[in-house]
Amino acid sequence: MELVTFFETLWLARIPILKGIGVTVSISVLAILVGTILGIGVGLALTYGNRPLRWLVRGYTDFIRGTPVLVLVLASYYVLGTIGIDLGPFQAGVLALAVFCSSHVGEIVRGALQSIPRGQTEAAKAIGLTFPQTFAYVLGPQALRQVLPAWVNTAAEMVKASTLLSIIGVAELLLRTQELISRTFMSLEFYFFAGFLYFVVNYGIERFGRYVERKTSIPS
Amino acid sequence: MKIALSAAVAALALMAAMPAGAQEKQSRLDEVLARGHLVMGTGSTNAPWHFKSADDKLQGFDVDMGRIVAKALFGDPDKIEYVNQSSDARIPNITTDKVDLTCQFMTVTGERAQQIAFTIPYYREGVGLMLKGDSKYADYAALKGAGSGVTISVLQNVYAEAMVHAALPEAKVDQYESVDLIYQALESGRADAVATDQSSLAWYMKQNPDRYKDAGYGWNPQTYACGVKRGDQDWLNFVNTALHEAMTGVEFDFYANSYKTWFGKELAPPQIGFPVEYK
Repeated sequence: MELVTFFETLWLARIPILKGIGVTVSISVLAILVGTILGIGVGLALTYGNRPLRWLVRGYTDFIRGTPVLVLVLASYYVLGTIGIDLGPFQAGVLALAVFCSSHVGEIVRGALQSIPRGQTEAAKAIGLTFPQTFAYVLGPQALRQVLPAWVNTAAEMVKASTLLSIIGVAELLLRTQELISRTFMSLEFYFFAGFLYFVVNYGIERFGRYVERKTSIPS
Repeated sequence: MKIALSAAVAALALMAAMPAGAQEKQSRLDEVLARGHLVMGTGSTNAPWHFKSADDKLQGFDVDMGRIVAKALFGDPDKIEYVNQSSDARIPNITTDKVDLTCQFMTVTGERAQQIAFTIPYYREGVGLMLKGDSKYADYAALKGAGSGVTISVLQNVYAEAMVHAALPEAKVDQYESVDLIYQALESGRADAVATDQSSLAWYMKQNPDRYKDAGYGWNPQTYACGVKRGDQDWLNFVNTALHEAMTGVEFDFYANSYKTWFGKELAPPQIGFPVEYK
């Protein structure tokens, strides 16, 4: 009986829930994408930048990594507004998550690049490769294998951090769930269901990571 | 004559020296009228105040207060852009101009009144007690008479115990962490009564007609009012006028309908003749 009521309520609420999943996925994908691109830049700067650049970027990563995501979300929504950059809740949220993601990816990339023996860069130089070529053909592919497991971890963290955007009113999956609960009073059931959906999204990311790992592994 | 002239010149010079924005500062009222819609902040997760209907439309008593203001502005209660905000965002969103107006069951306190300007109140909240329809206790007096024999279910809160004991000094207090659980405790007989906001009780009884009853006692008064940014008396006056006339004047039917929809009670129309405010 209880279960039947749950599924009936769920069916009635399918559109808002699907919209919520849509928003959660788009926030996550955008934040991970932008964060990864920025993060690669951060990692390169940390590894190969000259001293002033390295210090600047080190300051950026340490500051961002040491700040709670919630604070970043609130700052990009409220503080940027006071200096004239008026972002909507969705844009402000994506920006905060992307910045947070970039600092983590930057450190992961730096670690991976530094684990490659220096001799490889020297050998690439010896055969006349420019730096972009060295990165694209020698360092990049090796670093990618090192980066993947940690990157999957960060990506999953981003999906979970997207729930914080409900505070500034982005109608993502958690807020949609809370809206549903306030109407139906079925809190345990729907929180559990939302948890399951987050798991599905993160499981998808994990499978994607594994897939890329397989594709890029060295055939033995 | 000469003195008057030089005084006028001095006044002109002073005006010119002032920043342009300061002398032409428009009220938000003009800004909203020029924009063509009201930007209102409210939540989406608390029935019957602000929540989503089954077809995903924002509704509730707070939402209707915004609709009253929009109707006064444009003659159309639907000209509202809602900014969905959590309770924590109510005051920051007002002070950083994300919204023109916030109506989100905001309790008026001195501390908050230092940060934002409150409108006139539109509801007075209090805690009430709800019993099962077939409960062995008839009303508040019976519950109080039973002393330590009654168990009250209540939402978990630092003040929960003291709050219940203010009305029922000897009652046993069981705290639960979500709203559905306090109702479930009553339903399953683990509690004899639920103590929570009267508006929530009224809404729950309306959703489940004839299964529960109100014990007929209220305490812990709190005033709910909308909030606007400080320092714009023109805009505050306008919102106050709109709300005031909804409770006492031409828009009374709008307010009374909303009250009936969300709290299940009919309001007596304001008495004609001498204004009720001065009684």
